Amino acid sequence: MSAALPIPVIQLLQVLTVAVAAPGVTGVIARMEARLQGRAGPRVAQPYYDLAKLFRKEALAPEGASWFFLAAPVVAVAAYLTVPLLIPVLTTYGLPLGYMGDILGGGFMLSLASFVVATAALETGSPYAQLGASRAKTFSAITEPVVLFVVFTVALLTGTDLPYALAATVRSSAGQIVRPAHLLASAALFMVILAETGRIPVETHGGTNEFGMIDEARPFEHSGPYFALLTWGGELKQLILYTILINVFVSPWGLASTQQVGAVLLAIVALVAKATVVGAVVAVIDNSFAKLRLFKITEFVAGAFLLAVLGVFTLYLGGG
Amino acid sequence: MADPVQAPGVYAGVANVIAALMLLLEFGMLRQALIRDQIRLYAAQSALISVLAIVIAADRGLPDLYALAGLSAALKVVAVPLVVRRLLGRTGRDEAPGVAGSYTLGVANTVLGSIGLAALGFFCFAALGINSPVAPETALAIAGGMVLVAFGLMIVRRDVASQAIGFFSLENAISLAALVVAAGLPLILETAFLFDLLVAVVVFGMLIRAHHAREESLSTADLTRLRG
Repeated sequence: MSAALPIPVIQLLQVLTVAVAAPGVTGVIARMEARLQGRAGPRVAQPYYDLAKLFRKEALAPEGASWFFLAAPVVAVAAYLTVPLLIPVLTTYGLPLGYMGDILGGGFMLSLASFVVATAALETGSPYAQLGASRAKTFSAITEPVVLFVVFTVALLTGTDLPYALAATVRSSAGQIVRPAHLLASAALFMVILAETGRIPVETHGGTNEFGMIDEARPFEHSGPYFALLTWGGELKQLILYTILINVFVSPWGLASTQQVGAVLLAIVALVAKATVVGAVVAVIDNSFAKLRLFKITEFVAGAFLLAVLGVFTLYLGGG
Repeated sequence: MADPVQAPGVYAGVANVIAALMLLLEFGMLRQALIRDQIRLYAAQSALISVLAIVIAADRGLPDLYALAGLSAALKVVAVPLVVRRLLGRTGRDEAPGVAGSYTLGVANTVLGSIGLAALGFFCFAALGINSPVAPETALAIAGGMVLVAFGLMIVRRDVASQAIGFFSLENAISLAALVVAAGLPLILETAFLFDLLVAVVVFGMLIRAHHAREESLSTADLTRLRG
């Protein structure tokens, strides 16, 4: 177990871990939610079976849709798979490609993916898909300032905007964990993650047709492998956001600090375990709150904005 | 890039977090639609200030503050919420306890405006540069923000009950500032300040009952009309 892995392999493992584990995390959340509601629930591996089934199916495109409709899912997944290169997924030390972009770069990739999916939804002419795309963009216009303020907090805390630097700062002392700016930014980020992954105060995740749909409505017209890519992309986005929350903000422990095989394997297990814990919290929230009315979602996101702004305020006073 | 802001240390961090949480609860009261939940938030905020007093007492070796924390918890977490809830109960069971319609501005505007108020309070108090030997000055600045937000709450709400809660939470903000600036005051003096709250409760209790008896509602909207 003392063999050292070459850096490019670790870099590749970051992407592979997220790519492979993402449907599993969704499966765990679905299972846990079902158990909390007293149902048996689907098996944990169900999302993998769903993806395998969809990849074997025929793909259809609506009449009049251009090449963009079919290219969008591929671009989106490519963008999602780029983000794990930029954030600390497995290691405490920055990997070479990790310096391609800072935390904002990762945000841009996520926005690009969301943009192409929304544009593809607009291509279809289907009212549901268009409605979902329009709403997703409306609300992301409010969630993105929150993310910006969270990034400002990170920048003020560490003097850089590299996610690795913040993780190292949080690990450095207990004083860094209890400072209000850090806690407020983490809470704001968690609320944004709930909104962005389409979880309960914002959206029901059951896949039922209803008027409150946002994220769930966008891939309505895609089918076969393209729908599989979009579903997988949603799961990837969820795990990526969880990873940012866990490994940058809330508990950046258990990451590999060396290139040893054992340390990297342990980091993979730790990441999946921690993501499962976050998923459990999300499942509990899903079961304990009602979905907000569509027009109340702005209030929810305004709450997150308030937290992020207060975080920056306390920092400016020097005491945050 | 600028130098990173240094972490203030665990004790100051905890004190600041408690102060920030109190400010957040103030915002919660601002946008809470049900008076019952507003009272609950007020009780939570009062509990937090007792916790802060205990933290300061433990860290700085001021045994007086334990007594103050206990007294303040008994008064603000238990007694005042109970009294206010009983008062509202007496104004008539048939009246909905909700005060949702009492906003003069929309919720989003209210929250945005209050963020501005909090910022003003923050930076004004921080500019005073008051240093305290016992508690971090950020907590004082947060208390300044809270005072203004509580004033804002009393201004934007058009019902007597919310205004009373706003006033009581204003007293919480002042207590927070007092804890930060003058934690070493003699116990008797601090207790006397605490009992000022009782006067406020009596006055607002009278106001709620008198207003309800005359107008048959808690809303103050009718009071703007001139009557000969």
